[in-house]
Amino acid sequence: MADERRTDYGPPHYEKFLPPIIKENYGKWKYHELLKPGVMVHVSESGAKLFTVRAGSPRLMSVDKIRMYADLADKYCGGYLRFTSRHNVEFLLTEQSNIDPLIDDLKKIGHPVGGIANSISAIVHTQGWIHCHSAATDASGVVKAVMDDLYEYFTETKLPGKLRIALACCLNMCGAVHCSDIAILGIHRRPPKVDHENLYKMCEIPNVSASCPTAAIRPATVDGKASVEVDEDRCMFCANCFTVCPAMPLADPLNDGVSIWVGGKVSNARHEPMFSKLAIPFLPNNPPRWPEVTSAIRKLVELWASNARKYERMGEWIERIGWPKFFQMSGIEFQKEHIDDFKHAGLTFKRSTHLTF
Amino acid sequence: MADALPKTPMLDELEKGGWPSFVTEIKLAAEKNPMGKDLLGLLERSYKEKIGHWKHGGIVGVMGYGGGVIGRYNDLPEEYPNISHFHTMRINQPAGWFYTSEALRGICDIWEKRGSGLTNMHGSTGDIILLGTSTDQLEPTFQDLAKIDFDIGGSGSDVRTPSCCCGMARCEWACYDTMAACYDFTMTYQDELHRPAFPYKFKFKFSGCPNDCVASIARSDMSIIGTWRDEIQIDKDAVKEYADSGMDIDSDVVGNCPGKCMAWDGKELKINDKFCVHCMHCINAMPKALRPGKDRGATILIGSKAPIVEGALLSSVLIPFIKMEPPYQEIKDLVDKMWDLWCEEGKNRERIGEFIQRIGLGNFLDEIEVDPIPEMVAHPRENPYVFYEDYYEDEDEDDEEGDDE
Amino acid sequence: MAKSVEEVADAMYKLVKDADGLKKLKAMDLIKSMTELYGDEVDKKLCKSAIKELINSGKCVYTYFGGSYIELPHREGAAND
Repeated sequence: MADERRTDYGPPHYEKFLPPIIKENYGKWKYHELLKPGVMVHVSESGAKLFTVRAGSPRLMSVDKIRMYADLADKYCGGYLRFTSRHNVEFLLTEQSNIDPLIDDLKKIGHPVGGIANSISAIVHTQGWIHCHSAATDASGVVKAVMDDLYEYFTETKLPGKLRIALACCLNMCGAVHCSDIAILGIHRRPPKVDHENLYKMCEIPNVSASCPTAAIRPATVDGKASVEVDEDRCMFCANCFTVCPAMPLADPLNDGVSIWVGGKVSNARHEPMFSKLAIPFLPNNPPRWPEVTSAIRKLVELWASNARKYERMGEWIERIGWPKFFQMSGIEFQKEHIDDFKHAGLTFKRSTHLTF
Repeated sequence: MADALPKTPMLDELEKGGWPSFVTEIKLAAEKNPMGKDLLGLLERSYKEKIGHWKHGGIVGVMGYGGGVIGRYNDLPEEYPNISHFHTMRINQPAGWFYTSEALRGICDIWEKRGSGLTNMHGSTGDIILLGTSTDQLEPTFQDLAKIDFDIGGSGSDVRTPSCCCGMARCEWACYDTMAACYDFTMTYQDELHRPAFPYKFKFKFSGCPNDCVASIARSDMSIIGTWRDEIQIDKDAVKEYADSGMDIDSDVVGNCPGKCMAWDGKELKINDKFCVHCMHCINAMPKALRPGKDRGATILIGSKAPIVEGALLSSVLIPFIKMEPPYQEIKDLVDKMWDLWCEEGKNRERIGEFIQRIGLGNFLDEIEVDPIPEMVAHPRENPYVFYEDYYEDEDEDDEEGDDE
Repeated sequence: MAKSVEEVADAMYKLVKDADGLKKLKAMDLIKSMTELYGDEVDKKLCKSAIKELINSGKCVYTYFGGSYIELPHREGAAND
């Protein structure tokens, strides 16, 4: 009896957490409207109204902060709240008169309301130096610095369309930044320093060789020990070898930093989903506030905001004007790194005379 | 706990500015828990040195499960002993990330007692992330969580915790019940979620409409995206209200239609639904006037992933339209076939999207017994290197001609 | 004749033990080996139950090194004591 452990029971059923107004109007919502930045109303076929107040969060939260959220939910909306896919918190209200007092209380605990419609929502990101073994940059710190700088675009809706930013602290992309309007990607630029002393104890050599997408890693004997050697010319710093073998570290303060990618999107609205493309090959890690990164991103946001048509996402705008214009207008220098040289690279070459001058 | 917090001049800079600060959160936790204190110290050091200080563990977990715990050890344990172990636990979130204050407090109480008191709400895949505890607290944390009905999520080569948008709970565009489907799939695949047996991870993401708020087309091995196949519902009066209130329907709506299937003559909005590509733009722009059709279901796409190992992929169409009704047996049968094939033939760390690239989508379809259809490709092949599979010998040819006679 | 869960779990344990230090085995490696060894006397479902048994008994553990493996319990390389 005592050893009967409960397993595989899965998450609690979501119905337990739905406020009565949602249960009553489940699948019956008719339309929604933005009432002001960060506040929307959903109207049901029945006429019922559900008000949502969305607030930004740092994603990394103490249990004390979560309890503060819980207290606010008790005070204003019967104890019901939810989180969004971009780490925002949403309070679900039935009383319109509770909106402003809730917003005031959120401000008191330092959480801005916004992130809906033509705004910049919170940044989806990874762990960085707080918790990750393979980070090439911090995550929370860069995100905090960037969002401080772009604060007004979260709390107001003055952009032509939506803008989604994401950060991944290495190419593993736990934050899947590869389809964002602006992606911040931590990068290594130095090949792995092989720990020959310990590799044979920690790693299976065939696995290490097989992990390399460019076949740059070969078995070798070093000082009488089984190990591997890296053809450094073929290393593109993906760190896949490090993931399967800790004796292949790539992290290096002199060479690590971030790259900036633009023009990706996930939504099918108008243009099909797109990958983000390389805009800036390298910016240094400059903690605590990464000024080179925040300034580069502000410039990109403002360039897009002042040139894009209504609804046009970053990638749609660049596709319309063409990449040469993007580089010209942004002042970003086009370099060898911008040209793809991995699989199917030829598909990314300009294969027409459709050029602007 | 009267000890002062470590000096963190660099991190303190990140308490300034309008956006809520994670440093403030760590300090809040550090008031009660020495783990927070050491985390501040170690992070400040990373900021000075521009390098991380974590080692990847690979063994720790809870009894019986092979996923859901990410082992972490710092590489300076003498200096930061309270976070010598600092393992993460992934906890399966409720569908749609809805909570009651009571449920959240339950999690907080457990994590204050058993771990660092720091969390992510939520991780990139969708789990509640309990950030940082020691090995001996993993099993007790799981036991405590079991008492409030929260189970552990996925990690490693298993089904990762499925996630979904809020769907019908709060969105008029939901073309199927995403939360019901997400919960159902999560429960069906509990064994696959907790006991890794695949070549690599497998993610399900459920989006209610093509706006795809959970990024399923970019981030899941199986993307289930709501759509409809009849006519967009038009409320003519509401269209007129948009026009009267100053909306330039011709340029804002019609001009942005990728199917070029709309027309506006100043009085009436006409849609040739046969050529609608279901992008959502017109509906997004005029939510009071336009709604998805009534014959609703989902498009199933397969294979998206981030770059590691062979490059990033977006999901591609497998089933253009399917009704989403419990128990979703047709989809699950297909999932079983795909998993059998991928488990049998897939290489270590090869996602199913990469596997399909390697063996060819055509061969993959043969194996899972799905007929090829034009919806699966952006366009037919451009290169003539076709692997024709059948050919005739001389003697066959006579038979062929014989048939003509 | 169908094999019992215990028999298959024992055979799997032997495989893992013999491979210890030479090759990390994945769940699928164990299942494939059992099919080779016992043919029709085992199926995938039985093999999965056997893995569950093997892990629940504590004789083997799941590990993760860029992919999930089943190994004998051992001290973690990265661990700090």
